[in-house]
Amino acid sequence: MHRFFLFTSIPFLLVILFAWLTESLRQQPIELIPTLSGKSEYCLTCHSDLPEISASHPMEVFGCVLCHGGERLALDADLAHASMRGGKNPSDLAVVEQSCGGSDCHSGSSQAERDHIQRVMTSIQATYTGAITNILFTFGEQSDLLPRFGALTVQDTSLPSKTGIRSLEAFNPSQHINPIIQQFAQNCLTCHISAKAREGADFHRQTGCAACHSPASQSPYNTSLDDKPKHTLSNAIPYNQCNTCHNRGNYDLRLMEFVERADQPATRLENYYQPIAQFTLCEYTLDCIDCHTAVEVMGDGDIHATQKDIQYVQCRTCHGTLAELPLTKTLLDADDRAFRLALLNPMMDLAIGDTILITENGEPLWNTRVLPGGSYELYGKATGQRLVFRPVMGSGCKQNEWEQDSQSCHTCHALER
Amino acid sequence: MAVFLSLVLLVTGILELYYYIPTPTDAALSVQTITYLVPFGGLIRNLHFWSAQLLIIVSAVHLLRVVFTGAYAAPRRFNYLIGLGLFVVLILLNFTGYILRWDQGIQWALIVGVNLVKTIPAVGNFLYRLITGADTPGAATLLRFYAWHIFGLMLPAGILIIWHVFQLRRDGGIAMPAPGMHSDTSRITRFELVRRETVAVLLLSTLLLLLAILVPAPIAPAIENITTIPGDSLAPWFFLWVQQMLKWGDPLLWGVFVPLIMLTILIIIPYGLPIPKNAELGRWLPKSNRLAQIILVVMASLVILLTLLGTRSN
Repeated sequence: MHRFFLFTSIPFLLVILFAWLTESLRQQPIELIPTLSGKSEYCLTCHSDLPEISASHPMEVFGCVLCHGGERLALDADLAHASMRGGKNPSDLAVVEQSCGGSDCHSGSSQAERDHIQRVMTSIQATYTGAITNILFTFGEQSDLLPRFGALTVQDTSLPSKTGIRSLEAFNPSQHINPIIQQFAQNCLTCHISAKAREGADFHRQTGCAACHSPASQSPYNTSLDDKPKHTLSNAIPYNQCNTCHNRGNYDLRLMEFVERADQPATRLENYYQPIAQFTLCEYTLDCIDCHTAVEVMGDGDIHATQKDIQYVQCRTCHGTLAELPLTKTLLDADDRAFRLALLNPMMDLAIGDTILITENGEPLWNTRVLPGGSYELYGKATGQRLVFRPVMGSGCKQNEWEQDSQSCHTCHALER
Repeated sequence: MAVFLSLVLLVTGILELYYYIPTPTDAALSVQTITYLVPFGGLIRNLHFWSAQLLIIVSAVHLLRVVFTGAYAAPRRFNYLIGLGLFVVLILLNFTGYILRWDQGIQWALIVGVNLVKTIPAVGNFLYRLITGADTPGAATLLRFYAWHIFGLMLPAGILIIWHVFQLRRDGGIAMPAPGMHSDTSRITRFELVRRETVAVLLLSTLLLLLAILVPAPIAPAIENITTIPGDSLAPWFFLWVQQMLKWGDPLLWGVFVPLIMLTILIIIPYGLPIPKNAELGRWLPKSNRLAQIILVVMASLVILLTLLGTRSN
């Protein structure tokens, strides 16, 4: 019996030692109490090496849980991540309101043009309604080109609506027996930002805000995209991030398939656009966001029928016409939206008293400035490169006065490929 | 063993009380605090969890032993009832403790459990209100489960354990044939008894600690919306057999009546079924109470089978 007693106490003591060792070898928790929530979270215990997502979202202020959700006190990876919003991407449109919304954040007032979530949800990027409507019309599923369906159900709650389109129903392919519509639904709905992108590094982007604002590569000259999602939010979006959706191929309407481009672009010009058109120097030197504004890309709060209805910036927006100089605005108010935008992407030192270019809708082109000699400067939003350009007025341009669209400019200024 | 497990539960439970916060917003977070942040908190919680599960198993095995050795016969009939009552209280203690996690893992069992009570005719709504403390499960429900767990059930459990042991002595120790009817009259010494119990406790402690270190107690994300029923949830393992029966239809029949009928059968065993002969007391599988043994085997097999089915189908 004594021996049995000994044989049972030794394992017991060993297990006690094991328990003590397990406890003492445990990773020390790293606590963070973000000022916005004031609640402890321990995500940094494992994620201390993660870079800060952006200068506007300092870790000490936002922490992790406010945007990502998750179990803030759990030190077990499975449990800690179990209730995260949108998996690795809290900006997915299904959860964006909880993650990024709120009146103090990105669903703020439309007057201050801070209702970004509402604008994006109703934008063409999210609804994809132009393509859906055109396909339904072309294949006889609806008798007119009035937009009725979008990739998701949306309502325009802001009044007045310039377009008069108050709502879209979610496109449901099972309501159509036409096999071509089924084929369209299967192959062609990967472009809108609530959908997962096509397979392949060239198409790699996330959904929701991160589709654009978490660029896979920060360098516009790095043509190979890293397919790992990056912990970054940026307003300096290089052209190749836009290219993850745009210019990646064509839709074959006969087979209703997406045909990926097969060429191997060697230069920036070739990479920028696929070889089907002519382009001017601006188009293959600048990044897309240097000309196209936030309203064009993210919408204006109204539901538009097609991309063409919201994309309005033309060559003349910056260069003017033979008869008119481009529109300008002198910044006199420190609260001007141009300063807010410039602060988010500080590529140039904008100051009170500067005169900048604006679009016909009054949007500030905050990365431009009128120079004393009558020319203009522009700073690349993603590259920071400075370019100086002149207005058309006073130049030797022989264009007809009534032909002032970009395509007319292309007649002379495009590079032949 | 059961007494030792109860003591472990008491000590670890008291330690958990210092950190546990019985409010819907903080309960799951405080459980996470105990599990991950308090020094040795995870170990204490795991010990509490595993002691509770082992206690149910040990009690069930004890019940089987009592029936298979005919130990419930008079004069131990009343103590058998105390033991049965204690078993029910232990299951309720386990269930209330499980609910105190107040995370997504318990949501199904809570919602289904309280709705089950509602189906009982006449008193269903009253009982539902009594348990939940409100129209829907919420802060009042959690507080009630907390009160039941650390007071309303703990106190009876403590009293019943003491009573059960005291009654055992009054009834003349564990069951054995009357004097002169058993061949081996030797008894083990007091020291030998202590030695054997110490060895048993050491072995059990080793097992408990190993389980607590290697197999963590279940934990899940905090509840976002209490009224939604998550689709893929399981009841606690000791109610899996009820969950499996609920799939067959009428919740009142399968969820309330059948378990109550089974409890009634257990109560009837020493009173309504043939009891073991004196000479066979304390002997394994006496012939004289075969019917009780068969009924218990059938019930136990059904519960085990349904539990296994319940685990597999989810």
